[in-house]
Parts: sequence; C-alpha cells; structure tokens
Amino acid sequence: STDMTPPIVVAEYLSKYTPLLSLDQRQNYKDDFNSEYDEYRVLHARVESTTRRFTQLDGQCKKLVPGTKEHQKVHDEVLKEYKKIKQQSPNYHEEKQRCEYLHNKLAHIKRVIADFDHRRAQAWS
Amino acid sequence: PVEGAGDANCVDEILKEMTQSWPPPLTAIHTPCKTEPSKFPFPTKDSQHTGFPG
Repeated sequence: STDMTPPIVVAEYLSKYTPLLSLDQRQNYKDDFNSEYDEYRVLHARVESTTRRFTQLDGQCKKLVPGTKEHQKVHDEVLKEYKKIKQQSPNYHEEKQRCEYLHNKLAHIKRVIADFDHRRAQAWS
Repeated sequence: PVEGAGDANCVDEILKEMTQSWPPPLTAIHTPCKTEPSKFPFPTKDSQHTGFPG
C-alpha cells in the first residue's frame, strides 16, 4: 500500500523565530511583528467586513423559501455583492490567503515573545 | 456556461466560499510593564466633605 500522507510544509517563520534568548532579540521580533501588523490589520478588516456581509445574506437566504420572490431577491443581492468584491479587489482571494499567512506568522511571533516574557517573569519572582 | 443571474448553485457556491469562519484580529504586542499604574487621587466633593461636618 502507498502512503498518501501529504508532505508537511513547514512555514519558514517557524525556523526563523526560534525561542528567545535575549531582550535585544525580543526587540527584533517585536519590530518584525510591527512591520507587518498594519498590513495585516487592513487585510483582516477587509475580509472581516466581507465575511460579515455574506454571512448576513446567507442568514436571510436560509429563512426564506426557495423559489419565492424574496428568496430570489437575496440571491440577486449575493451575486451583486460578489461582483462588487471582484471589481473592487480582483485579488481578493490572494489577499485573504496573505492575511491568513500573516495571521499565523504574527501569532507565532507573539507566542514566542509571550513564552519569553513568562519565563522571565518566573525567573524574577 | 453562461453566468446566469438565477443560477442557484452558483449562489450556493459563493455563499459557502464567502462565509468561511474568520478569526478575530490579533492584538498588538504590548511591552510588559512592571510599574504600577499612576494613581491620581482626585478627591470628590463628597469625600472632601466627609470628616468636616458643619
């Protein structure tokens, strides 16, 4: 039998941001975090509002009976909104993926820093 | 295939794709601060009056 386990792709930031050893290093990690944080927040807010809008339409859709005028109206609205997104941000999917990547990367850096702070706090107490 | 405005499958696909759960944003990193928050004891009118009857 063949092993169909997909190859494990290790994100590059996992090997880059190893456990912290010094305060200088902590500052570097924090600077890296901050250098991408603004881009992350902009992308995140965009995806968040889009997701909220479609979730709202999805909720409306589920309350209505398929085939009715009202149901059709919500369907049309979904298509209209989708077209609008595609026009405003033709790379919406790439942006979303980029945001997911940044989310995981920044969360990792944050975790490494929090671990370091925790260890320091224990050492001083 | 022509993109029909009434294509229900198409709408279902869009909804499925666009309503994927999205985590709340990460908060910024704060520098752990050991100093106590400064307290400014502004006496209120009431507390100024207490202890000074009459």
